[in-house]
Amino acid sequence: MTHSQTSRRRFIAGAGAAGTAALLSGCVTSTSSSSKTSSKGPVSLQSNLSAPQAKAAMQDLVAAYKKKGAVDLNTVAAETFRTQLPTYLTSANPPDVYTWYPGSVADAYARKNLLLGLDEVWTSPDLQRYSKALHTLCTSSSGKKVFVPTTYYWWGMFYRKSNFAKWGVTPPTDWDGFLDLCDKLKSKGVAPIGLGAGGNTAWVASAWFDYLDIRINGAQYHRELLAGKHRFDDPEVHKVFDRWKEVLPFFDPSGTAVAFQDATTALLNGRSAMMLIGTFFADAAPKDALDDIDFFRFPVIDPKVPLAEEAPTDGYFASARSGHRDQVFDLLRFLAGAEAQEIYLKGSSGTALPCHPDAKDTGTPLVVKGRKHVAEAAEITQFFNRDSSDALQPTADAALTKFIAKPKEINSILTDWQRDAQKIWGA
Amino acid sequence: MAVLTTAARKTTPVPTPPRGRRAGGPRRTPPLVLAFVLVPLLAEAVWVFWPALQGFYLALTSWDGVSAPRFVGLANFREMLHDDIFRTAALDTVLWLVLFGGLSALLGLATALLLQQERRGVGFYRAALFLPVVFSLVATALVWQAIYQPDGVLNQLLQAVGLGSLRHAWLADQDTALYAVIVPALWRQIGYVMVLYLAGLKGIDPALYEAAKVDGAGRWQSFRHVTLPQLRGVNAVVLSVIVIDSLRSFDVVWSLTRGGPYHSSELLSTYMYSTAFQSLRLGYGSALAVVIFLLAFGVIASYLVRAFREAD
Repeated sequence: MTHSQTSRRRFIAGAGAAGTAALLSGCVTSTSSSSKTSSKGPVSLQSNLSAPQAKAAMQDLVAAYKKKGAVDLNTVAAETFRTQLPTYLTSANPPDVYTWYPGSVADAYARKNLLLGLDEVWTSPDLQRYSKALHTLCTSSSGKKVFVPTTYYWWGMFYRKSNFAKWGVTPPTDWDGFLDLCDKLKSKGVAPIGLGAGGNTAWVASAWFDYLDIRINGAQYHRELLAGKHRFDDPEVHKVFDRWKEVLPFFDPSGTAVAFQDATTALLNGRSAMMLIGTFFADAAPKDALDDIDFFRFPVIDPKVPLAEEAPTDGYFASARSGHRDQVFDLLRFLAGAEAQEIYLKGSSGTALPCHPDAKDTGTPLVVKGRKHVAEAAEITQFFNRDSSDALQPTADAALTKFIAKPKEINSILTDWQRDAQKIWGA
Repeated sequence: MAVLTTAARKTTPVPTPPRGRRAGGPRRTPPLVLAFVLVPLLAEAVWVFWPALQGFYLALTSWDGVSAPRFVGLANFREMLHDDIFRTAALDTVLWLVLFGGLSALLGLATALLLQQERRGVGFYRAALFLPVVFSLVATALVWQAIYQPDGVLNQLLQAVGLGSLRHAWLADQDTALYAVIVPALWRQIGYVMVLYLAGLKGIDPALYEAAKVDGAGRWQSFRHVTLPQLRGVNAVVLSVIVIDSLRSFDVVWSLTRGGPYHSSELLSTYMYSTAFQSLRLGYGSALAVVIFLLAFGVIASYLVRAFREAD
């Protein structure tokens, strides 16, 4: 009886304490900046790389660092990570280091003083040797370095070599050649173009918008459009959809019904012939299929427009409220090194490219070709959400999936898109 | 009692005890009992009332979730008046309320009537119908997603029975997405409503049916004049449950379509979530949450007030 009373009392006291704690921290709108985490304990590394191979590679990386310092890896499903990121960064006790993207996405947080300034890390000999483009990409609008890039990958029209050989077709170089190829493939009963903008991956459709826009209007216009300096109902944007309409009949009819993972399975099984996708899809592909995968450059539409490619960079940033400043710097210097990047590439599908000039890529023919592909580009773009913001992405998802289903309604689609985007820019 | 009180007043000159306090009862609430009331109240205040109040405040602001919220008054609600997607979501929510709510009540009642009698094997059917309630809706949604895939079970079935022309990308077509999403939600809800009605049916006095039989009532008449009036109490519960469940329906829609394609299966709840956490417009999202709250509160309160008035 005494025992039960004690435990009851304890429970009540505990509940009261928990309640008070929640009351104190419950004020969601208050931005407390005073509380810092203690500098004891390991650095926490929050990762959104949840595909099996990428996750395993991250574990290898962390295991390698543990010889030097303490770090805890916490892998969170990509979608949860994305929606939670603002909460992580604004919480009083945030994780220290995060996998994320440089450019406008990181700068949005940097402008709100949520990112740790990394100028000190960038003085390391490794980062000093990074390309000038990467230096610029990782610098916030206030001139501070806020990001450490580690790998990048490229987007292209991926296909299976054996299937192209079986169908007797070869990769095209220009738009007309591309339309001919689609015709030929369709006549063989194959869906020429897989998409994968169904399920939870509607954003894949943005790759088509990005590429058509950078091929028709150029990378400069594209970035300005995504920054709100042009309108989505401008004649330039209409031109993008005019071209898209020409290839729309060749898209797999289930393009907006299945997620990209299912669409890549269809590609690997030969039910669809090619797909505009980034190399990350290989992280979930069987290893034995990797040797059979090849890609070609998204066809040139207007030779006068400087050649641009989408080559999103991945890496890390850290929370401004991290209490592990020195340990975070140490971890980031390690991640920026050639050795760490090689460990990651070895453990993952190995189709990404390292940012460190000395780090060896996996050296497969696909990767060699990919590296050349990016190097030949006059301009590099990141991706729709990375060149604009995560908040703008849903407006593109709605507009583009609607266009694919109802191309004739393009006028109202673009009007709506502009209206929705304006709300985001104005927020 | 009144007589006794009057008598007591006459015989004792001391002032009357305050009304409602029993003469022989405990004069003081024991602290433990008080704690049992106050601690849950505190928890409720911290985890429910406080966030709810904050939600009301946020509805009057423009907030991106990172910077400090900016007070904008009723601008969010004004914007709602001209927001096509809000209109779509509100209409879809009404449609959802009618279809999901109506069908789950009707089918729940029908299955309860069918399975109320104790026959051999009836337990199996009851358990089978109740089973979907046990699964998480997100898991349920994953299974149904596989069923609805372009080369999924449903399309294969249609092909096999010669209805190949009906094959469809069920979740990717704006004409079918909402209905395709209602089916798994219904599949789960019917078992729940059935159990509520089964309990209600068990509580009806069999003598009433016997009396009806003696009066020459047929099956329909005894259902109409005995069963239905006796279920009035359960109906109030079922209505509350389905209104609340309809307005908070989110998980199954989000897992299957995310309110798409292009907002065709958008409910107020999914629109609220995507506005708040995808587009990072938390002020507008909170305003939507306030609307949802007022709708739920309005529907339930007006029904309960009417129900109580009838009971009087």
